[in-house]
Amino acid sequence: MSAEQSNPSEALYPEGAGLETFITTRNRRGFVWRVIFISATIVAIIALTALIYNIVIGSFGYVAMQNKVDPASLVLAVEEDRMLTNLNTLSSEDDKELVKGIEGNPNAIGFFGYAYYQENADKLRAVSINNTMPSAETAASGTYPFARPLFIYTTADIMAKKPAVAAYVNYYLSNLDETVNEVGYFPAHPDAQAKTVQSWLAANGLSQGNELPTIDFESLSDEDNLAIAGSSTVYPLSRKVAIDFRRAGFAGPVKIDNVGTTGGFRLFCDGETDIVNASRPITRAEIEACQKNKREPLEFNVATDALAVVVSTENDFLQNATLDELRDILTVAEKWSDVNPAWPDTEIERFIPGADSGTLDFFAETTFTRKLEDLPKDTLVAILEANLSTGLVRRYESEKPFAERTQEDVLNLVLERVVERRVVKSWSLIESLFNRGEIETFVESIPQGELEFRSWLHLGFLTTPQATTPELAGIRTALLGTLWVIFITMVVGLPIGVGGAIYLEEYAGSVGNPTLRQVNAIIQTNINNLAGVPSIIYGMLGLAIFVRAFEPITSGALFGATDPTTANGRTIISAGLTLALLILPLIIINAQEAIRAVPQSLRQAGMALGATKWQTIWHHVLPNAIPGILTGNILAVSRAIGETAPLVVIGASTFITVNPSSPFSKFTVLPIQIYQWTSRPQDEFRNIAAAAIIVLLILLLTLNASAVLLRNRYSRRMT
Amino acid sequence: MSDNDQQQPISPNGRYALQLNDVHCYYNSFRAVKDVSLKLERQKITAFIGPSGCGKSTMLRTLNRMNDLIPGARVEGQVMFHGQNLYDPEVDPVEVRRRIGMVFQKPNPFPKSIYENIAWGARVNGYKGNMDELIEHSLRQAALWDEVKDKLDQSGLSLSGGQQQRLCIARAIATKPEIILMDEPCSALDPIATLKIEDLMRELVKNYTIIIVTHNMQQAARASDYTAYFLMDRDDRAGALVEYGITNEIFTNPKDQRTEDYITGRFG
Repeated sequence: MSAEQSNPSEALYPEGAGLETFITTRNRRGFVWRVIFISATIVAIIALTALIYNIVIGSFGYVAMQNKVDPASLVLAVEEDRMLTNLNTLSSEDDKELVKGIEGNPNAIGFFGYAYYQENADKLRAVSINNTMPSAETAASGTYPFARPLFIYTTADIMAKKPAVAAYVNYYLSNLDETVNEVGYFPAHPDAQAKTVQSWLAANGLSQGNELPTIDFESLSDEDNLAIAGSSTVYPLSRKVAIDFRRAGFAGPVKIDNVGTTGGFRLFCDGETDIVNASRPITRAEIEACQKNKREPLEFNVATDALAVVVSTENDFLQNATLDELRDILTVAEKWSDVNPAWPDTEIERFIPGADSGTLDFFAETTFTRKLEDLPKDTLVAILEANLSTGLVRRYESEKPFAERTQEDVLNLVLERVVERRVVKSWSLIESLFNRGEIETFVESIPQGELEFRSWLHLGFLTTPQATTPELAGIRTALLGTLWVIFITMVVGLPIGVGGAIYLEEYAGSVGNPTLRQVNAIIQTNINNLAGVPSIIYGMLGLAIFVRAFEPITSGALFGATDPTTANGRTIISAGLTLALLILPLIIINAQEAIRAVPQSLRQAGMALGATKWQTIWHHVLPNAIPGILTGNILAVSRAIGETAPLVVIGASTFITVNPSSPFSKFTVLPIQIYQWTSRPQDEFRNIAAAAIIVLLILLLTLNASAVLLRNRYSRRMT
Repeated sequence: MSDNDQQQPISPNGRYALQLNDVHCYYNSFRAVKDVSLKLERQKITAFIGPSGCGKSTMLRTLNRMNDLIPGARVEGQVMFHGQNLYDPEVDPVEVRRRIGMVFQKPNPFPKSIYENIAWGARVNGYKGNMDELIEHSLRQAALWDEVKDKLDQSGLSLSGGQQQRLCIARAIATKPEIILMDEPCSALDPIATLKIEDLMRELVKNYTIIIVTHNMQQAARASDYTAYFLMDRDDRAGALVEYGITNEIFTNPKDQRTEDYITGRFG
């Protein structure tokens, strides 16, 4: 370096151009290494991103839901049943009986078809519903709630092929007003009627004019026939039209079947019939089913059905009722004053159509529109009792009495056991964003299918226990299990680990006895080796020691605290102790590093002041080592949280719905739950596994962040 | 404080604070210092000088049993303090260190407040008096009070190197030792801070016995009353005492040729 060394021996070091290339080469070599390191970092980042991407797209996305039982029909069944079995209720298929009961009785109320009310308008009075009286206008416009449009359906092709069908529909529409009035329905809204006529004209290739052509009965052959099937509500109307149609000159046979609206559409789409009587509009699924058979259904709104809620003319207080009031009057209330304090304190007498009547169904459908979720707990319990076997109900009762369960809890049971709402198919976030069309077609193809954008990760996911169906399953039990196990791991592992580190670092070195020194050296080496032992070995160790050998202790039998459902050593405490063993070497090594990093001068300063060794360690060494110890501990605990293999060996349960309540409970933990879900065949379990992974990651990140915060706080205090 | 004041006149050692009889220091089987016999004068500054590796620091640590902290360290011979051998089995090193304080080569205040730096030593030794008074008194004795009186709650590490060293001296004084050992206390300091420490030593020696290890010949000549010259024996590589006497005599008229070589700079 000095002048006398480099000058006389120039050849020893490169100079001039040689020096330049030499430096360039060295720089280039450094650059290559830098590129390698950057690439490694990029690869790591890409791998992490891919991992997170996979988890996230699995946790959110569309799902096709299907209910085995329609929840609305459950509500209806329960409410109808309550209505029919109520006190002071007369139910009859014969409307005359109802009228007889109501007339002259001021406390009576009842309902039936509007037509029949009109016949008895002298003895009865219709009640306005939501301040709307039934009339042609309110029924047609839909403001009167107890009104529904009635339809017939056919196709342009059928009308072209079978002139009789075209003629029949023409006749139907031409004479609608008289027929409808005669049957007792309201005519459809004038706009709807005009539209109906237009669509007939368009379907028959007559685009000009607004008038239906006169029917030329001569041109219709006797061979022609009409096959009609569908709703019994539309039946009287269609029958009346058919009779008049034949009187007017049609000679062929007309067959009308009462198979219900749904049945009518099925026959029609299969090509069995020409016309459908429908008391509701056609659904998309039905349109598609028809299109598969090359049938494009054409809708004709022919009339509006309405029913009247009636009281006696003697009744002077009930002029109007809301739907809610009506529901109470017909179900839960005993006296009129129960519903509205302004009404008399007399008992309600109810007169309603019988259970087989479509009128009752229609009334119930309109009135009992509450959703399953809004029903009170006792109603939900009633649904359970009505739909499940007594044995199953008793089992739930013994697991936890219904009286103690929450409404939400019972609702979940109903959803799981009665509605059997399940996910038919789920899509990832990416598919949900880019394949929307395909997804929608799929959902419409399944009966009672519903499309739902679902975040598999939601608050309920954290608070509901494990379940057999993925959409109802949550991680509450697993999360609590993890917290319990980690608590035990920390309580046992941290003090022992830090204590061991203090001994090995501060005391073991100053041991005078050479044998003891050797033992300490062996311990130190073994701890380093133990940190590298595969975790499953710890599982075997835990199984042999904690689960088997210490069973009386770990099962709680010794303390009389056994969990009746396990009564063996496969408990939280066994798991916690095993994980404590597993992380002990990590804690010791990390704590040793931290303690070693405390400058020797601090120890000397303390000792030189006449402090004992322990005072020096406690007041100076430990406080300075704490940030490092904490970091090591948290990393070790993070490792324990993510550990699966040893707990599989210990015997973590895979299906637990009851919260772990003591160290002697059986348990499951998040990684076990995730592992178990990912190995299930149904796709949806992978979605909840992804959501559970997010929870686990958040838990770990929170822990690590708190380690950083704690460390920073301590370090700031030190300097 | 009053305790010590009363003890000193009735000390059985009379004018000597410490008396070393045939002391040998070992690290495991290696003998680092051999056969030292010395009488250290009370309330004087004694300097240990000598080239690197001659065992003067080991010697110093032997005097308050700080060598116990080094695994394998062992002492033979007697170190008499108040008529008691410090290496008797019944003697507790903790008490020894409280009576014989120490200041290290590198300033090593605790990473705590200035106040706490001094209070801690007093507290662990069971001090019962007024802590604020003790701290002010100690800092005044260490000539640091005026510089830090307004920032006692600040970290000891926020002070300059010289201030830190004086804080360490104040900390040592606070436990009321009789003897203060100083292991090259100025080697990490600039000349001005060094002078301040030397002035401080002259002030402190009125109440305390001070033993200082130094490489700085001028410092030994300037500041000490007595000087002990150590040298490593070429045959068995163990440090040995070559010459001990009044500083003036050692520096002006050394009896041993090796001492003269060293202090005149011809060796080391």
